[in-house]
Amino acid sequence: MDAEAMKMLAAGISMGFGAFGPGIGIGILGYGAVQAVARNPEARGQIFTNMIFAIALAEAVAIYALVVSIILLFVV
Amino acid sequence: MAKKKGCLGCSFPVAIVVVLVILAIGVVSLLSGAFGSSLFGDLGLPEWLSVSVPHPELPAATIFHIGSIPITNTMITAWITIIVLVAFFYFGTRNMKLIPGRYQMIIESVIGYILGLCQDIAGEKYGRKFFAIVATIFLFVITNAWISLIPGIGSIIVHTAEGEAELFRGVNTDINFPLALALVSFVFVEYWGIKTLGIKYFTKFLNTRKLTSSICKLFKGDIKGGLSGIFYGIIDIFIGLIELLSELMRIISFTFRLFGNMTGGEILMLMMVFLAPFLLAIPFYGLELLVGFIQALVFSSLTLVFANIAVNPAHAEE
Repeated sequence: MDAEAMKMLAAGISMGFGAFGPGIGIGILGYGAVQAVARNPEARGQIFTNMIFAIALAEAVAIYALVVSIILLFVV
Repeated sequence: MAKKKGCLGCSFPVAIVVVLVILAIGVVSLLSGAFGSSLFGDLGLPEWLSVSVPHPELPAATIFHIGSIPITNTMITAWITIIVLVAFFYFGTRNMKLIPGRYQMIIESVIGYILGLCQDIAGEKYGRKFFAIVATIFLFVITNAWISLIPGIGSIIVHTAEGEAELFRGVNTDINFPLALALVSFVFVEYWGIKTLGIKYFTKFLNTRKLTSSICKLFKGDIKGGLSGIFYGIIDIFIGLIELLSELMRIISFTFRLFGNMTGGEILMLMMVFLAPFLLAIPFYGLELLVGFIQALVFSSLTLVFANIAVNPAHAEE
């Protein structure tokens, strides 16, 4: 296989596999947050803020995979 | 005739006009983008309505040189951000009254929000001390992210030595700025750690207390306690080295979190505008606004949290 085809394949696979973990992680975060709000509806603001914070951290891992994909497509 | 209550509070004819306009925009955008040209072939749409294939470039294009320093389009946009922020806050706080007018109230609510965030996470005293740099990071990142979203700002094209380039490009998409900001945040955290705890701050990374105390125990004759203490002491040293490594990894993760979110968002917007110009741009524009705000919040809050950990070390034992 020539280098061009390998580059495109690698870019696709990198983002594809890189989105597994963060997807599951963000789902678990949402589950925990919704349960917490169900137990204590008054703390909704606090819980929501913390959830957004944790989601941004989990999403960062997916963004690392995206950066690898972008570098493969546009720089290498 | 009185206004009839239609949907969403506007009168019925107005609602019908709005729906028709949205439908027209949707049809035009689906036809003129990549969807249209692959489904219907060449429709002969006018020049200004067709979108060419985007070529996103990662490194920022140099516009001109001052002496031997190349000035890139991201640097020009960063200067614009600085001017906008300084002007915004200067003109709002010129004639400050005790009962604020509207402009002063906007500034007070922004500052109050960030100060509340600082004091929630770091406590009263340290929250006030950390406020300066946390607020700077937050305001700078969010203004940079939102300025690159102003409609039309990416369309101003100049002719440089290497060819055509955009004049303005959001500075968060240049890898150098997130790296610089991450280094600033790292130095800030270490500075506050050393200032509060003195040189003992470094025992977090080189934790030889347990090892030395257990060697002393060996010499005093307590063999069993001394040996197990040595074992745990060696583990403590390894834990300290891993802490040091994770401090340095923070720089990299800060950099790539901000850079990846902003560059990925820019490329996503380019692709969506290529697919269906006006229609698909709307939800992703909203997403970009939200992502800009959240990334600013995450960067500044993480700096705050790590500074808080540095000044109040989490005591595992004692």
